Amino acid sequence: MPKTIVIQPVTRIEGHAKITIRLDDAGEVETARVNVIELRGFERFCIGRPVEDMPRITPRICGVCPWSHHLAAAKATDAVFGVTPPPAGRKLRELANSIAYMEEHILHFYFLAGADFLLGPDADYSVRNVIGILQAAPEIATRVVKVRHACARMLEILAGKAIHPQAAVPGGFSKPLLPEERDRLRPMADEALELAKFTMAFAKENVFAKYLDVVKSLGVITTGFLGTVADDGALNLYDGKLRLMAPDGTYEDFTYDNYTDFIAEHVEPWSYVKFPYAKKWGAFSMDLDKPNGIYRANTLARINVCDHIPTPLAQAELLEFRSAFGRPAQLTLLYHWARLIELLFNAENAVRLLADDEITSTETRVKVTPRAARGVGCVEAPRGTLIHDYTTDENGLLTNVNLIVGTTHNSAPINMSVTQAAKSLIHKGKYDQGVLNRVEMAMRAYDPCLSCATHALNGKLAVRLDIFDSEGKLLDSLAN
Amino acid sequence: MHDAFLPDFCRKPTLILGCGNTLFGDDGFGCELVDYLERNYPIPETVCLLDVGTGVRKLLFTLCLSPARPERLLVLDALDVDRAPGEILEINPAEIPSIKLDDFSLHQIPTSNLLRELETHCGVEVRVLACQSGPLPGEVRPGLSAAVRAALPSSAAWVAREYFNNGLTPSGGTVERRESSPA
Repeated sequence: MPKTIVIQPVTRIEGHAKITIRLDDAGEVETARVNVIELRGFERFCIGRPVEDMPRITPRICGVCPWSHHLAAAKATDAVFGVTPPPAGRKLRELANSIAYMEEHILHFYFLAGADFLLGPDADYSVRNVIGILQAAPEIATRVVKVRHACARMLEILAGKAIHPQAAVPGGFSKPLLPEERDRLRPMADEALELAKFTMAFAKENVFAKYLDVVKSLGVITTGFLGTVADDGALNLYDGKLRLMAPDGTYEDFTYDNYTDFIAEHVEPWSYVKFPYAKKWGAFSMDLDKPNGIYRANTLARINVCDHIPTPLAQAELLEFRSAFGRPAQLTLLYHWARLIELLFNAENAVRLLADDEITSTETRVKVTPRAARGVGCVEAPRGTLIHDYTTDENGLLTNVNLIVGTTHNSAPINMSVTQAAKSLIHKGKYDQGVLNRVEMAMRAYDPCLSCATHALNGKLAVRLDIFDSEGKLLDSLAN
Repeated sequence: MHDAFLPDFCRKPTLILGCGNTLFGDDGFGCELVDYLERNYPIPETVCLLDVGTGVRKLLFTLCLSPARPERLLVLDALDVDRAPGEILEINPAEIPSIKLDDFSLHQIPTSNLLRELETHCGVEVRVLACQSGPLPGEVRPGLSAAVRAALPSSAAWVAREYFNNGLTPSGGTVERRESSPA
């Protein structure tokens, strides 16, 4: 009798989601789908508002990566007003972006995905969590906490507040960085860099090497990739051009405002979330044997699409990574490895920006004047390319708004990786908690943040697994 | 711990957090109350008052792991506890409805949440001032309902009396204290 397995919500990802696995009569996986609930009405709510409000409003969408929304919105308003921030304004924004990245990547590696690796995917659920990590590796945890403190403190000094920021404004940055403030920030950035270096070395020796077999088999799919690069092809998380790389490694570059020429949005009847795909590659298909139009965003994508990384330590790691896994690397769990290369890059980048005397210039913004225009702002959010697309009338009031959030780019690949994982791990109807956690691991590799797309207050804390027969009768229920 | 690295929310004796999403009607009560307090009361140096909106989880997570923490934590939030919209009450963290738990956890702690962790294992006095919300909109719609907005002055007066200790004698501000449910 066919069964349906439901994992809801997925633990240790941001936001809420539900994985539904349907088994056929033989107990083999028929389908695996990841469902989320979309935040509705945001674009419509924005219509008629002054465009300069957007950098203040959009961080409210999501408490997980408010800086990304804040900066994408600021860049879109720059474009609408037709202005370019002064160098110091741009550098302050980029510095804030790098600090926010470090905070996120540290959280993910050590405390969200970390439990899977540091404690093992088959560890009992009661210890496979942040408290378990603290007990297993207290010295590392203390060091990590210190840098998370430093990141929060740096954002406080830089922008006045770390959560729901308002410092980036149309035309630049509202608050110049004082020389004495820079002096306070520099040792914190140095400390973050030391942790990033330690983390990379620690992960290569103790985590990735240990779980290479899992990395090579779990959630593996073949797709294209999307990310941002500078004009010279260097990795850039704040600004540049978009690069869409096909599975064979060929690519096209395009400016933000041309994204609709390259990306279309597919709709599935079983999900509220859009499925962006590369429209020039043909019809959308998530068939594991013959996918089409599918690309991925987020860390692995950015590491794949860039030609090089403009900081020395991260560049050395990129070369080692490519030597081992090629370009483009396709193994899904390599997202974790790529995330640590980015952590290193951001730490180096923060140190570099703080060493730049221009960052303390008092000229941090330019004046803006309302006009009728379209502006597209884009940053690489920790979880993928974030696009804000605004159109205004002659008074600067919004007439159209479209957002594509980072995780949305990965809608199709997440579904494919979860399907692949489920098909390889569940046979003849047999499964246990370890197997199900590995299915979740395939999804967690993408570090999906579903908060942008969800406002469901009905999520429960624990993972629950329900098994239904084909008539909807509950056969079994497992809970953590 | 290098003290210069500590964010304000770890270093001050009292931490007051306004939680919720201002884009969804009454869910923004906690944030609006922080704004009201900032506009109408002098905030003592010993108090860190923050509108953390939808970002409370990351902050609490850092706080749980931190060797330096406030002595007292007050959470301001909208909850649905079967009261009349706008009704204010203090609830025990253990009584937070399960549907709200995810707002306070990062899904790491299977049988508890970060607030309870702070109270039970970290020695922080945790209190929650809740306002019964009206129906939350299904789509983005900012702004408090009239009933919840009317609760802001008395709620602020209660916070000032309990936490600011500045000699103010505001009118109103009576808050029911619910007894903890049996474990």
